[in-house]
Amino acid sequence: MNGREKGGDPDDALIRATLAGDDGAFGELMERYKGRAFAVAVGIVGDGDAALDVVQDSFIKAYYKLKEFRFGSNFYTWFYRLLVNQAIDRWRKVARSAEVPFDESWLSGDASPPGAFAYPRTPEDFARDRELGDVLQRAVDSLPEYHRAVIVLREVDGMAYDEIAKVLGCSVGTVMSRLHYARGKLKEILKSHREG
Amino acid sequence: MDCRAALMNIEAKADGLLPREAEAKLAGHLAGCAACAAEDAAILATGPALRALTGIRAMEKAPALDAMWTRVRAGIEESREARRRPSWIARWAWVCAAVALAVVALLFYPAGTDRPPFHPSSFDVAVEEVESEVATVALVDKGEDLPRVIWIIEDAKT
Repeated sequence: MNGREKGGDPDDALIRATLAGDDGAFGELMERYKGRAFAVAVGIVGDGDAALDVVQDSFIKAYYKLKEFRFGSNFYTWFYRLLVNQAIDRWRKVARSAEVPFDESWLSGDASPPGAFAYPRTPEDFARDRELGDVLQRAVDSLPEYHRAVIVLREVDGMAYDEIAKVLGCSVGTVMSRLHYARGKLKEILKSHREG
Repeated sequence: MDCRAALMNIEAKADGLLPREAEAKLAGHLAGCAACAAEDAAILATGPALRALTGIRAMEKAPALDAMWTRVRAGIEESREARRRPSWIARWAWVCAAVALAVVALLFYPAGTDRPPFHPSSFDVAVEEVESEVATVALVDKGEDLPRVIWIIEDAKT
């Protein structure tokens, strides 16, 4: 019986197989989390290409650090800690080097604002409202890095408070206060955009 | 429930942490208070807005994301190769550094002893055995009739 067939957490089986030399098992593990990882990374760094680099580097780092993983804990919590740190490092480098202009190339279609404003709920909504996409991106970019990480992990990934606390190495109370601050700021910006 | 209590509960409701009874009371308040209802809608809107924003980026980068394993595997192989490859640059840099260190040390060769004072033209530098991690660097003093070894660095130890 190989590592992949053992019972228990399916991530654990893939981790054991990887540690035994089965790189394909790590590929399987990566496939499970790459979508979520990208969403978190792009939420923090704000740029698609940079987020791809962050995801790639995080998985490579995870591969080589996998022997440090403690069985019994969650792989994704462990991995997200690498990912978020990698994303924040990337963001700091970019922020230090230059002000990153908002990339509007992903927004297409009618540039005119909609007659009756509605908060966007789908990518199609955003494509109809380029200005709002710009506003929201700037709002996210203006948040301090750990506030941005908290709101992305909560709202984009759906992580629970205690999981976010483990990923960021802080208390649940800190997570709640950062989330409150970040939500408040995004809410105000969206609101002023709606009213303005 | 008053507006203050409602505002405190709105965020907990957004995260699914509000007990059912408190949620029912909040719903009753929101039904009759436009200001709190607007606040509730604004808080609830931030999550979908963020998800939509990241969703667009994910759609745009879907082909690259599909090829992520190729990128990661290549990165792993590259790192593996780099770990296997002996670092010739680092090795030669170590030898050069050792020689430089020895020369600097000789410049402070103690005067007032039996030995003649150090003169830059009176020594040879012999570098031996650089095939492995161990390097031997010998400085040979030719200032007297018979050459003598005055400084040896071997494996980073003098």
